[in-house]
Amino acid sequence: MNEKTKNLFTVCLLGALLLSIALFCWLKPQDDFSDSERRVLAQFPQIKWEKVLSAKWMSEFETYALDQFPLRDDFRALKSAASLYVLNQKDTHDIFMADGHISKLEYPMKEDMLTYSADLFNSIYDKYLKDSGSNVYFSIIPDKNAYLAKENGYLSMDYKKAIEFMKERTRFMEFIDISDMLSADDFYYTDTHWRQEKITHIASFIAGNMGVELKDEYTQNVLDIPFYGVYCGQLALPQKPDTIIYLTNDTIDDLIVTSYSTGKPVPQSLYNMEKAGGKDAYEMFLSGAEAIVTIENPNASTDKELILFRDSFGGSIAPLFGEGYKKITVVDVRYVRSQVLDQFIEFNGQDVLFLYSTVLLNNSLAMK
Amino acid sequence: MLFSSIPFLFYFLPIVLILYFAVPKVFKNSVLLLSSLFFYAWGEPKYVVLMVLSILMGYAFGLLIEKFRGKALSKVFVTLSVVFSLAILGYFKYADFFIDNFAGLTGLSIPLLNIALPIGISFYTFQILSYTVDVYRGDVAAQKNPITLGAYIAMFPQLIAGPIVRYRDVEIQLNTRTHSIQKAASGIKRFTIGLCKKILIANLLGEITAVFLASADLSVLFYWLNAVAFSLQIYFDFSGYSDMAIGLGRIFGFEFLENFNYPYISKSITEFWRRWHMSLGQWFRDYVYIPMGGNRVSKARHFINILVVWMLTGFWHGASWNFVLWGLYFALLLMLEKYLLLDKLKKSKVLSRIYVLLFVLISFVIFDSPTLPDIGKRLLAMFGFSSIPLVSKEALYYLGSYAFVLILAVIGATPLPKMLYAKLSKNKAFAKITVIMEPVLLAVMLIVVTAFLVDGSFNPFLYFRF
Repeated sequence: MNEKTKNLFTVCLLGALLLSIALFCWLKPQDDFSDSERRVLAQFPQIKWEKVLSAKWMSEFETYALDQFPLRDDFRALKSAASLYVLNQKDTHDIFMADGHISKLEYPMKEDMLTYSADLFNSIYDKYLKDSGSNVYFSIIPDKNAYLAKENGYLSMDYKKAIEFMKERTRFMEFIDISDMLSADDFYYTDTHWRQEKITHIASFIAGNMGVELKDEYTQNVLDIPFYGVYCGQLALPQKPDTIIYLTNDTIDDLIVTSYSTGKPVPQSLYNMEKAGGKDAYEMFLSGAEAIVTIENPNASTDKELILFRDSFGGSIAPLFGEGYKKITVVDVRYVRSQVLDQFIEFNGQDVLFLYSTVLLNNSLAMK
Repeated sequence: MLFSSIPFLFYFLPIVLILYFAVPKVFKNSVLLLSSLFFYAWGEPKYVVLMVLSILMGYAFGLLIEKFRGKALSKVFVTLSVVFSLAILGYFKYADFFIDNFAGLTGLSIPLLNIALPIGISFYTFQILSYTVDVYRGDVAAQKNPITLGAYIAMFPQLIAGPIVRYRDVEIQLNTRTHSIQKAASGIKRFTIGLCKKILIANLLGEITAVFLASADLSVLFYWLNAVAFSLQIYFDFSGYSDMAIGLGRIFGFEFLENFNYPYISKSITEFWRRWHMSLGQWFRDYVYIPMGGNRVSKARHFINILVVWMLTGFWHGASWNFVLWGLYFALLLMLEKYLLLDKLKKSKVLSRIYVLLFVLISFVIFDSPTLPDIGKRLLAMFGFSSIPLVSKEALYYLGSYAFVLILAVIGATPLPKMLYAKLSKNKAFAKITVIMEPVLLAVMLIVVTAFLVDGSFNPFLYFRF
């Protein structure tokens, strides 16, 4: 009797589960975007005979079926929980949690990527800076794994070795070492980036090495929008959001920001509140992904200018340099080819700072 | 299409189940055949023509062999059937291997054909061969209905990765099978367990082998970790697939023969091969080894028989010298056991099991190595004959991260969980709880597996290309 009941219950329960999920899959309206993964989701592929014959359509359908799966984020959360708490794995998709932080393994040190970065910086130097009379500086921002991974038993690249590797290949630049001035808590808990309010001493130190003094006096402003960093979505488990604090003072309030990303000057905000309420609140700093942005200080007591080659970490530190320069040109060579920079920038003896995180240097192919 | 994919689980399977159980009995094989062709075409749209041709060829030869039974023509047709089947398999699977080796030997520059291997061709070709040979031998009657024969050859549960179901084993079921709640429940349970073996164990162990291949921080420990992980991965991958095939078969009213029986608890290599990929072993025994005389021949001839059968077994797995070597390695071990070791192995259960695990582990290093020199390199590294360190931080990290999965896999590769469950089920209270808990647990397993699938990407089975 027990066996019969069990069999009947098995068929009914599993059959109902299979059919319910199937119906949900077939009938659910398509989503356009995944907030947690910050990417566009695949849509139902257009049926074309040649695509069907080559099995390309089937491959696209598989992607569509995965991307549009009902309760996708909840299933991803279940997978992460099962991996970390049931199967006792140390990470899921290289994402791990330690000391209250979520982070991503940045391992191993990729010599080919570092070489690519160094070669790119060399080519920029040779083309624009060699004969321009500029003082050229270089600083590397160790990602938060440098302060988190090894101590907690996670794989960690040899950061000292990586920094030495880059220094040896960029001897034309004066290196400013900030690696001992940071700790894990200087970074957001749920994101890869550093916190602006925690890096004022870094800004002063770098500026000092470039012969510029910063007053280091700021007002802290708390953004009233919860910040779920990039690792939240990747981990897929529910997390407490970070709080973004952005800094202002009289000088910062008066800075004039102009974007040249479209080729024409467009007035821009230093702290973009529209972006703060968007998919990634960290993009509030200099509006996130921008090819070329200028920051002008109308109250500057100097004519000194700075060209800052940077990645996303540079967005939050650049405003702090505003006080020491009349004009800062912020360049992101992921969004503009370095070989055409002279169409937008006149290189004529400005201070030049290359400021890059190990995350980008170790995965550098996006730089052009 | 993969069993362990969202399109299969939540698009294809529900539709096929509804259609299959909705149509009258007389159309069930037609639904099976059409759905199987669709299933096959999903991954290989162009090669579905080859499959249909193979089915028609098998059908025609079956009828011709039976028509001329007892006459010389019957032998001609069975020979033609074998030649055509092997020619198709040879062309699609082995042509480039032979061209490459011939060019290497002669120094000639011969371009490769670069033919994509049709999925499952090794499995369905062997099924067609077994059918025509069995008709010739008079073991089975030729199938008059092409749809029924097509449903047998193309049946999607076992089409692409076995088990190799012989026609004689399902001949009656093809026409007069029954369906029941008991069979369906048993099939669902088996399918879900197989799915978990594939997704929750094999795929995760596959991640170890992937990081090993990409690692620049190798060590003796990492080589061993990779070898153990791969040995367990291939078992859970392939036996998981077989479980799913057997489970689906049961839902559709078929009873396929078992393909695995806890091979890693074997006390000799001879026993291992009675427990590992049993349908392939039985196929080679019935259609190659015994026709060659088996062991009822002189010792020298017996050696040759074993060498030929195991070389072919290795070669069946892939057109590469490491598979041939893998087969010959087992031939050597089996001969050693037959004439020297079997009696000695019976003396200690522990030592004999360690012996089997060690030599099977080495066999999978041969199997998994991308090139012949890699085999030597990996084995030398495992046994300390290289300059790499004993341990490395990557090896320790991944050993720690996958320790639970490895332990789960080791326990799951033994009959212990099944024995424990059977013992507990004798308790009345436990048996009562399982009435609810077992189906609920299966549902939870399906949901967890779905979560892994949604989170993951394309994950082909290891045995797909054989």
